[in-house]
Amino acid sequence: MGAGRGGHKKGRGGRSADRGVRGGGGLEMTTALTQGLERIPDQLGYLVICDGAVLASAGELENAEHTAGVISELVGTACGFRLQRGPDPPFKRLSVVFGEHSFLVTVSGQKIFVVKRQNHGRGPVSV
Amino acid sequence: MGCCYSSENEAADQEEETKRLLPPAVSPTNKVLNGAEQNYHSVPSARTDEQAMLSSILAKTATNIIDVSAADSQGMEQHEYMDRARQYSMRLTMLSSSLTHWKKLPPLPSLTNQPHQVLASETVPYPDLQQVSRIAAYAFSALSQIRVDAKEELVVQFGIP
Repeated sequence: MGAGRGGHKKGRGGRSADRGVRGGGGLEMTTALTQGLERIPDQLGYLVICDGAVLASAGELENAEHTAGVISELVGTACGFRLQRGPDPPFKRLSVVFGEHSFLVTVSGQKIFVVKRQNHGRGPVSV
Repeated sequence: MGCCYSSENEAADQEEETKRLLPPAVSPTNKVLNGAEQNYHSVPSARTDEQAMLSSILAKTATNIIDVSAADSQGMEQHEYMDRARQYSMRLTMLSSSLTHWKKLPPLPSLTNQPHQVLASETVPYPDLQQVSRIAAYAFSALSQIRVDAKEELVVQFGIP
């Protein structure tokens, strides 16, 4: 495991503050977050969001603050849903499906993970 | 009550919602109740248990029902009415400033311990997407066919000067 590929890609632009990164352990923690995302098959980009701020971003989602804001709100709303009054949200992953690509979203440890993936072998959904 | 998920804790909220804003004053409707009770006192003294039960049901209903058409308009003067309206709106302003319940965002629940695995796994099958879209379209069409069937007058006259 090395930083040979240039390590993780950090969003440039004033407001993307690395809020979850403190002191000396900074780069390692962010790499741990993003390494798994980098390896996702057919991924076109990803975002890691914490408390409304972008911790890490790459590919087609690099610096995508507006997208991060919209997705954060979507997740916040969806996490409030309960089926049959259960204690937990009734889903593990949220998919926003477009014609050529999809956004897959999940929440873990107070952080929102978003990956943009290429759709395979399907036309647009028509009803 | 209201829209979906507008109340997380139903029991506590219901108490809050039914509590009176202002201390109860003598209202004209009490006159109706007193009149009704007087009639019962003049019934022959051989009162059965059933009569007692019926009259207690009547009394309970009378206290819970506010008959606006029977309200005596002489009971409240113009200045009393204005005074009351002002008291209510002051009380409302006081209460709404302490309503922080809806403003705080709840913390995000954790959906998984393995976010990378969850995001890397298979995407939703295309036939499932088609089915869900079809169901949503049917629901939308059904919703758009909801109509109001007006049967009675919506607005009634109050006896306020």
